[in-house]
Amino acid sequence: MKAAKTKYAEYYQIYVWELPVRFYHWINALCIVVLAITGYLIGQPIAIHSSTEASFQYWFGTVRFIHFSFAFVFFFNFLYRIYWGFVGNSFASWKTFIPYTPQHWKEIFHVLCLDVLQICKKPLKSIGHNALAGLTYFLTFLVFLFQAITGFGLYAGMSDNWFTGLFTWIIPLMGGDFAVRQWHHLMMWFFIIFAMIHVYLVFYHDYIEERGTTSSMVGGWKFIEKPEKE
Amino acid sequence: MPHKPQTILEQMLAKGYTRRDFLRFCSYITAAAGIHASGLSKVVKALETKARPPVVWFHFQECTCCSESFIRSSHPIVADIVLDKISLDYTETLQAAAGHQAEEALHKTMKENYGNYLMLVEGSVPTKDGGIYCTIAGKTALSTVKEAAEGAAAIIAWGSCASNGCIQAANPNPTGATPIYKIITNKPIINVPGCPPIAEVMAGVVVHYLAFNRIPQLDGLKRPKAFYSKRVHDSCYRRPYYDAGLFVETFDDENAKKGYCLYKVGCRGPVTYNSCGIIRWNDGVSYPIQSGHGCIGCSEANFWDNGPFYQHLASFPGFGIETTADTIGTILGIGTAAGIAAHAVATNIRKRKIIKHELEHSVKDEELKATDEEKKGGE
Amino acid sequence: MATRIVVDPITRIEGHLRIEAEVKNGKIADAYSSGTMVRGFEIILKGRDPRDAWAFVERACGVCTTVHALASVRAVENALKIEVPPNAELIRNLMFCAQYVQDHVVHFYHLHALDWVDVVSALKANPAEAARIAQSISPWPKNSASYFKEVQKRIQTFVESGQLGIFANGYWGHPAYKLPPEVNLLAVSHYLDALEWQKEVVKIHTIFGGKNPHPNYLVGGAPCSINPDDAMALNAERLAKVGQLIGDAIDFVEQVYIPDLLAVAGFYKEWFAIGGGLKNYLSYGDLPTNGYNDPTNFKFPRGAILNRNLNEVFEVKGDDPDQVREYVTHSWYKYNGDNNTSLHPWDGETEFNYTGPQPPYEHLNVEGKYSWLKTPRWKDNPMEVGPLARMLVAYASGSTDVQEVVNETLKKLNAPVTALFSTLGRTAARGLETKLTAHWMKGFHQDLINNIKNGDTRMFNKEKWEPETWPAEAKGVGLSEAPRGALAHWIVIKDKKIDNYQLVVPSTWNASPRDANGNQSSYEASLMDTPMANSDQPLEILRTVHSFDPCIACAVH
Ligand code: HEM
Ligand code: HEM
Ligand code: NFV
Ligand code: SF4
Ligand code: SF4
Ligand code: F3S
Ligand SMILES: [Mg+2]
Repeated sequence: MKAAKTKYAEYYQIYVWELPVRFYHWINALCIVVLAITGYLIGQPIAIHSSTEASFQYWFGTVRFIHFSFAFVFFFNFLYRIYWGFVGNSFASWKTFIPYTPQHWKEIFHVLCLDVLQICKKPLKSIGHNALAGLTYFLTFLVFLFQAITGFGLYAGMSDNWFTGLFTWIIPLMGGDFAVRQWHHLMMWFFIIFAMIHVYLVFYHDYIEERGTTSSMVGGWKFIEKPEKE
Repeated sequence: MPHKPQTILEQMLAKGYTRRDFLRFCSYITAAAGIHASGLSKVVKALETKARPPVVWFHFQECTCCSESFIRSSHPIVADIVLDKISLDYTETLQAAAGHQAEEALHKTMKENYGNYLMLVEGSVPTKDGGIYCTIAGKTALSTVKEAAEGAAAIIAWGSCASNGCIQAANPNPTGATPIYKIITNKPIINVPGCPPIAEVMAGVVVHYLAFNRIPQLDGLKRPKAFYSKRVHDSCYRRPYYDAGLFVETFDDENAKKGYCLYKVGCRGPVTYNSCGIIRWNDGVSYPIQSGHGCIGCSEANFWDNGPFYQHLASFPGFGIETTADTIGTILGIGTAAGIAAHAVATNIRKRKIIKHELEHSVKDEELKATDEEKKGGE
Repeated sequence: MATRIVVDPITRIEGHLRIEAEVKNGKIADAYSSGTMVRGFEIILKGRDPRDAWAFVERACGVCTTVHALASVRAVENALKIEVPPNAELIRNLMFCAQYVQDHVVHFYHLHALDWVDVVSALKANPAEAARIAQSISPWPKNSASYFKEVQKRIQTFVESGQLGIFANGYWGHPAYKLPPEVNLLAVSHYLDALEWQKEVVKIHTIFGGKNPHPNYLVGGAPCSINPDDAMALNAERLAKVGQLIGDAIDFVEQVYIPDLLAVAGFYKEWFAIGGGLKNYLSYGDLPTNGYNDPTNFKFPRGAILNRNLNEVFEVKGDDPDQVREYVTHSWYKYNGDNNTSLHPWDGETEFNYTGPQPPYEHLNVEGKYSWLKTPRWKDNPMEVGPLARMLVAYASGSTDVQEVVNETLKKLNAPVTALFSTLGRTAARGLETKLTAHWMKGFHQDLINNIKNGDTRMFNKEKWEPETWPAEAKGVGLSEAPRGALAHWIVIKDKKIDNYQLVVPSTWNASPRDANGNQSSYEASLMDTPMANSDQPLEILRTVHSFDPCIACAVH
């Protein structure tokens, strides 16, 4: 096999991320950013020394209102993604998230070797997300669920809504509102760290693989080289 | 000859009260127990036909502040409850008899009223090492609570001690302190948490039981809904400051003097279910927040291990007292950033190799042209 | 032949106390005092934030609630060298006094009175005669014939219902009851009045500390801010309410408690010669009027008396390693080193070591370990602490306030000073200091108002609030006088956490088992030689033990 890649190598253009997935992705990203910022402010409100009457201010209430509003969007958007995991294309399928075959696990080790430790050379074949990314997203989805359950569980204490009432069981299970809030707060850091690594890895893959990973979540297309013809 | 116990109405009439006084009393406890006015006739009927129900009050691992709180009740006042409404046949704090005379009074009531007496428990029960950390009359609290529960109609677990273990159950729980509901599982139990609970809440629970001869509506943690369904925060008069984002930054600062919200000095009101903000303490005089200190969450299970009390976030067990989720998150965040940076450097080196390799192996200009033509030809 | 009698539970106290006594020829020949419940506070406190400690230790006891919180904040402030603003000191004093007044009145009527007052005998009283007696000793407006009649009727109905409740199986008719029916009726009526009144005076705690029992404290000051221009802060309305409660407290103490105390005591003078017990008295002193660091200006002076010698008062220091030390020889604990040695609380150890009989048991093994209380000693002497010790130390130190009330009372009862060294002397001393603290409260209240008038509204010193400002290691001791006596907490802080925390509590001094040298502590010593009319009915034991106002949850913790 000679020269690996040239400017003249040939590519397939593959439609990986369908429009619903792209919508889901950016709504989700926005929600998470907003929820983390508002959540952090709820946990550590900024200091204000002023003599304004409380009735002229409502900034903290507003922060909480934004947190709760985005919480609903976040949750239903997530439910929608689960649904799409069953009806969307093969790249969106739930099967890409759960490593239930030996093949998945082989790929996971391969990715670890290639992208994280950078000691392997053999390129990866998968086109959507790789098995490790899939597994990470799967774990992330579990955290989404945890954050939503704890969040709505806390919210149930201040709302008569039947929907939030569905989440009250979490409170005694975790030993009271205090513990639930602590975990909910701690998990904010998961999202922050996930986002850091995730965004980095998107650029990394784009840089290394040259498949247009970054833009794929905008336009939906990836560019995959045609295998060399002998 | 055994006396036929008098009903509460009979007793009141015998004391010179009129039937009208009696009805006024009924409407009062109806209100105190948080019962809708339409329930009044039921209360009247119940008290007309009932003798003073026998009650036994146990003390195990506790500080007696639940008893102390109970005697602070302003409506109804405790003398009225103890002399007129219940027959308090055993209570170490107040009863005249001691030693085996006290034990005898207890056992007599338990025997004669088997299945009918109300059992009140103040304190947790140590279960470690065979229960030797609390003995009364030579017997363990563990054996006593089991024996007494057998004939009890219902159990009221007073305070955080009896309903969630409270301070002695705090880490490392040296005596194996255990709340009542974990030991007795086959009886109706009412948990009335709080360290201590508010006097009028205690009286209200007893009065509810007396009036209806059944326990009040409870939530999932066996707490009476009437008093524990709202967070302290929901009825806190400082709540507008919370929503306005105006907080006390340190004790006695300008904001404290103005009565701003105590959230940032650790107030547990947002995570604590109790009626402090509504009923308040000692006949409505104040409650912790009104007197400038945050709620410490005294009616929540495990509240002792949710410290430090002056910090909104708990510190992490095993780390220093000031290590919270945010400290840990920040450290992990910095670690992640460092990891990313290192990875990025490694990637760059690799990428450079790839580029070099690609350039070396890339075809020369002529070849490029040739390929181009070849391509055209092929089309 | 000696018979071993067991009184367990001792009722009308706080906590779980068991007394075993040998009765020989109608007298107590030996006595053993045992606390039978433990929670392990000193173990639980390890590793926690020192600023939180007050809330934990306050839960040692709900009866003397607040006093442990006070000792705790003082211990931490002592360790970190924090001085609290004068207003906070005044508020602590006000809460302290309110606690005394409430606790002592409840003790007298609801815990102690039934040792002297025969409820059943009150049924035979002539209400008019009771009113005459009452009016002759006090101007209390409720003391009318119709009122006493009403109470009598209430008890009559109660007794006739056949459900005797808390009065069931009492020692009614016992030959040791000496009061005429009218005085019994008077006392029973005031039992009910006191029950209703006590819930009022504690509102002083509610105003400053947000609730009672277990009001809130704060290291470095007090949590309630002063702001005359805010509806919810400490303002004129709140302070007026405190003033009114203090006025009512003074009235109740002077017009009900003290007259009743003297009336009852007058019929039991033989008890001025029974139950004296130890001859050594210890008081840490309290109620600073010039800051906690200046004990010479305490309302209750600090000092120790040995051998009932009122001519010499010894200096007491909490940080002296040779003064206060604790033994565990007869306690269910073990020390890492020698079990017969004693440790200063800064080096104190708390490790359970139950060696008693397996329950259910008949008797304790009093030769070995037999209690959950440790055994504190001052310079290796067993000491009595409490109202009597406080009054004696103050009397001997020359406190004019104290000398005045003591002399006046002794004159009224026609008794010599030595009468104080007794069961009844202890009960009387408690009444006298209640009167004093009620009046002192008025002064502290006025001082607080004056401070605010002069523009000082400081309530909290935040300099050392943040743990970053603390040294790597610090030790402190907080001394106080709880209603039941000398109370102190010792703290060792390392790396911003509690490394060791030890409580040595008044009832630990009084109710503890013997020390390594076989010396008895107060309860045991004062039960010696008590005559028992009927060893099956331990009324006399109750009288002496109750005169200390036991609090065993406190004592063990
Ligand atoms: C990415 C997802 C989320 C993040 C990062 C996040 C973060 C946070 C943080 C840091 C807090 C402050 C906790 C504290 O310190 O006490 C908070 C509070 C809260 N969050 Fe979230 N949250 C998320 C999702 C949700 C969701 C889905 C809900 C659902 C309703 C929710 C409901 C709440 C509630 C009720 C509070 C307490 C607010 C209050 O009592 O004022 N959160 N959140
Ligand atoms: C510059 C910003 C971002 C870009 C360019 C980007 C791009 C992408 C791409 C290309 C994928 C496909 C993954 C793969 O090929 O392995 C993806 C998936 C995903 N991204 Fe992002 N992302 C961005 C920000 C975020 C943020 C802030 C979050 C939330 C914290 C997020 C959450 C996710 C999730 C959950 C998936 C899995 C989606 C699925 O398959 O359902 N992304 N992203
Ligand atoms: N002993 C004791 Fe206490 C008091 N007074 C505490 O320090 O009672 Ni509960
Ligand atoms: S719940 Fe709290 S207040 Fe009640 S007995 Fe227990 S420690 Fe005391
Ligand atoms: S003071 Fe506490 S309970 Fe009140 S509003 Fe603020 S956080 Fe809530
Ligand atoms: S500490 Fe307890 S008393 Fe009420 S305000 Fe909080 S629940
Ligand atoms: Mg101790």
